[in-house]
Amino acid sequence: MSAGVGQPTSHRRHTARWVAAAALVLGASLVAVLATRPSATATEVNTPLVGTRAPAISGTTLAGQAFDLASMRGRWVVVNFFASWCPPCQQEQPDLVAFAYRHRALGDTALVGVVFDDAVSSARGFARSSGATWPAIVDGGGQIALDYGVRGPPETFLVSPSGIVVAHLDGPVTAAQLDYWLRREQSGVT
Amino acid sequence: MNRRPSRRARQRLAWVGLVLVVGTALAVGTGRGSTPPSAAKRAVSIEAAVRCPSCEGISVLDSSAATAVAIRRAVAARIHAGQTDAEIEAYLTSRYGPGILLRPPVHGATAWVWVLPPAALAAGLAGIAVVLWRRRQPDRVWVPAPDRALVEAALTARGGGEGERGR
Repeated sequence: MSAGVGQPTSHRRHTARWVAAAALVLGASLVAVLATRPSATATEVNTPLVGTRAPAISGTTLAGQAFDLASMRGRWVVVNFFASWCPPCQQEQPDLVAFAYRHRALGDTALVGVVFDDAVSSARGFARSSGATWPAIVDGGGQIALDYGVRGPPETFLVSPSGIVVAHLDGPVTAAQLDYWLRREQSGVT
Repeated sequence: MNRRPSRRARQRLAWVGLVLVVGTALAVGTGRGSTPPSAAKRAVSIEAAVRCPSCEGISVLDSSAATAVAIRRAVAARIHAGQTDAEIEAYLTSRYGPGILLRPPVHGATAWVWVLPPAALAAGLAGIAVVLWRRRQPDRVWVPAPDRALVEAALTARGGGEGERGR
């Protein structure tokens, strides 16, 4: 009689032990995956701007010079929205510097920065300390970011020599990613 | 001698009163809509309908994020330039997609977002009603015809009165 009463309780304990063990294994696997995965990089997003004419970018650079995107027609242009306070922007900056250095030598692609919601002095200090030599435009009212549909930095756009936005990348880019997207668009393969 | 109005007359009076109240409300409501809203009211209305692009589920009106501030500035400038509400919303959706509107337009795939929840609710209510109705019905056991014939024969053999009670 007592065995009959005790059996379901023991069965329940057994099940609970298995459930606890499964939860433990699942939790440990999750921690392992999160700890070992590479840091997040940019993803290509399909926004309404892709395939349309690149909105105008004109204004004053951090160096105080006048700039107009239209003057870069005929070259591939990488437009990068950044801010000094944004950690992913700090993460991608060395890759942008490497990309800009390599392509300045090749003369096929130009890089343009747009300051996103940042103090001019902070953005200037950030660009200078990271070795960025490309023009960075001050977007005081945020109109350029709005025209490009930017939600938050870093966001990067690839503009074709004919002035069409061909790719929109969300998140910190790597030099390898930029080269890949550039080659893909240059060869016309989508 | 004063006679109180009949029940029928009172009912008529109530109907006339109801018609007067509804008519006045409709007239006031329609009259209000005919005057164009001011630029500030239009701006508030648009900003309340647009999602802050860098926030989680709040409108441009309720946000102080840089993107929301830029949109507020653009909305004001476009109203000042004479654009309609639809033109301003079209500009924002051309940059951010239809998701920038807190209430996306009801067509195509987005129509399902509006149609499915009420349909699911109606189906659920109908299901509950059917279950409740069935529970109220007396239990009926389905008996095959040969078995029923056997039982009826047995009851008839025992006497008609008991047979009727058994049903």
